[in-house]
Amino acid sequence: MPRTLWTTPEAVVLERRIGDWDEDVLVLAIETSCDETSAAVVKGGREILSNVIVSQVDLHGEYGGIVPEIASRAHVEALTPAIGEALRGSDLTFWDIDAIAATLGPGLIGSLLVGVAEAKSIAAVLQVPFVGVNHLEGHLYSNLLDDHNAEFPAVALIISGGHTMLVHVKGHGNYEVMGGTIDDAAGEAFDKVARFLGLDYPGGPEIDRLSLLGDPTAIGFPRALMFEGDFDVSYSGLKTAVINYVRRAEARGEIVSIEDIAASFQQAVVDVQVAKTIAATKAAGVHRVFLCGGVAANSGLRQGLAEACQKDGFSLHVPPMELCTDNAAMIGACGTAMLRRGKTSGLNASPDPNLPLV
Amino acid sequence: MLVLGIETSTPQASVAIGSEQGVIASAMVSRGASYNEFLLPAIRFCLDEAGLDYRNLGGVAVSLGPGLFTGMRVGVATAKALAQALSVPICGMPSLDLVAYEVRYSSKTICVALDARRGEVFTAFYRPSPGGIQRMSPYGIEKPEQLAIGLGSRIEDVLLVGNGALLYREEFEDLGSVVELGTMSHAFPHADALVELTVPRMFREDFDSLYDLKPMYLRHSAKRIEWERIRGSRSA
Ligand SMILES: [Zn+2]
Repeated sequence: MPRTLWTTPEAVVLERRIGDWDEDVLVLAIETSCDETSAAVVKGGREILSNVIVSQVDLHGEYGGIVPEIASRAHVEALTPAIGEALRGSDLTFWDIDAIAATLGPGLIGSLLVGVAEAKSIAAVLQVPFVGVNHLEGHLYSNLLDDHNAEFPAVALIISGGHTMLVHVKGHGNYEVMGGTIDDAAGEAFDKVARFLGLDYPGGPEIDRLSLLGDPTAIGFPRALMFEGDFDVSYSGLKTAVINYVRRAEARGEIVSIEDIAASFQQAVVDVQVAKTIAATKAAGVHRVFLCGGVAANSGLRQGLAEACQKDGFSLHVPPMELCTDNAAMIGACGTAMLRRGKTSGLNASPDPNLPLV
Repeated sequence: MLVLGIETSTPQASVAIGSEQGVIASAMVSRGASYNEFLLPAIRFCLDEAGLDYRNLGGVAVSLGPGLFTGMRVGVATAKALAQALSVPICGMPSLDLVAYEVRYSSKTICVALDARRGEVFTAFYRPSPGGIQRMSPYGIEKPEQLAIGLGSRIEDVLLVGNGALLYREEFEDLGSVVELGTMSHAFPHADALVELTVPRMFREDFDSLYDLKPMYLRHSAKRIEWERIRGSRSA
């Protein structure tokens, strides 16, 4: 028979235990929803064995914002090495892995497609489950990864360049969106104001740095919706107020302090966001606050929220920086929790750029 | 050696499994399912029908385009992940070569024109050579009317194939009998040709680097084109 001519790669043992997702379940996770290419191995849903993050900031810097086509091209190039590195870093091979998790949405469709295609392919070869994870739900789990005192229920503030929302996390898979931005995400407002002020991309960290040198009470920028009864925020008016302030000053020939503008703008964001978060926590009747997402790095927000939580007797949990920005470890943690609930996806699953949290 | 081929650079997506003895299973779809929904079930179908398993595969071949951005990305990402998880070699092939290879028995010069959208076509010229084809031009992207002018100025007869040739057929029909237009059955790159072309490369161990392999775009992202235009006009 001609079969003998076919060369077969080294035989591998396929028999593995699937079903009882015990303490040691090993999940290989992939996150490519925006401009970070990340792969991680998470053990038992809480222990990070590796978490490789390849940032594309340098690629998008010259355009002053994320260019979707450039992001997806970069994911195709960066993801395979990132997966290899994540396995090497955890001292495992593909054949040790029990399940593959990847971000299904929300995010940029071209970017999501790359991660989902690779995750499903690996799952097909290994004959292990594929778990499609909601990126926002992933952020909620970033808090559980590092801090063993962090538990659900809690109120989580997810705040990043793409999202700003307050979520009542009642338990695994049980969430209520309490409020969010009605226009720009907080990080987006930081980036837009920074670009207007001529600061380098990404602008958020630059504004944070400058605001330490300025007077946060120098300019009374508006605190939109701060005293409304709900938990929604709005940042588009604040951004416009900054632009108008600078234009008016220039028209009058006045010299403006960029440090004062940065500090006053940041203080306006912090005041609104802290007030809403505390109000939401009280309304939800919980005593734990999770801060997650890229803007959790902002020193003003961290400090403002820490002081307010202490005053009200809430415990505040902020993950380390590499878990605040988009990363695959949080997708692995969330994917593990979903596996335990029997929530897996098929190999024909498609990403959804607008996937809602609930 | 069993090779899995993946071709998704045009609206006609296909997968095929074959060896030095030819293709033993393939699946193709021209419309309907998106690449991302089609690929893994189609590969599963081919493996099952041929009585094989992923572990029987000795290599992965993938079409690198040029073609539609989304298709190329899903195809290349899938191929890379399969090769990585299986620890087998990977080979990439340009989509235009695949179309030319299927009409290699012609004695004429072969010109492939694939639809690049936005009123342009991806092109390359080939001549038949013993056992295959030989490329005579760089891979390019141009407007169909420019291609027609180029074809009209050639002294030899040309066989013009590809969905781009058919889409803009009125541009080429005026050129008369010098240009023969291919039919719909040779209008798209196919995974069968990809497997046939790749098996010898696998035996020669002429592999591509798994980490470095990427699609052949031939076109910058729209944002970059716009940015270069603005920067160019500023510096001018
Ligand atoms: Zn995020």
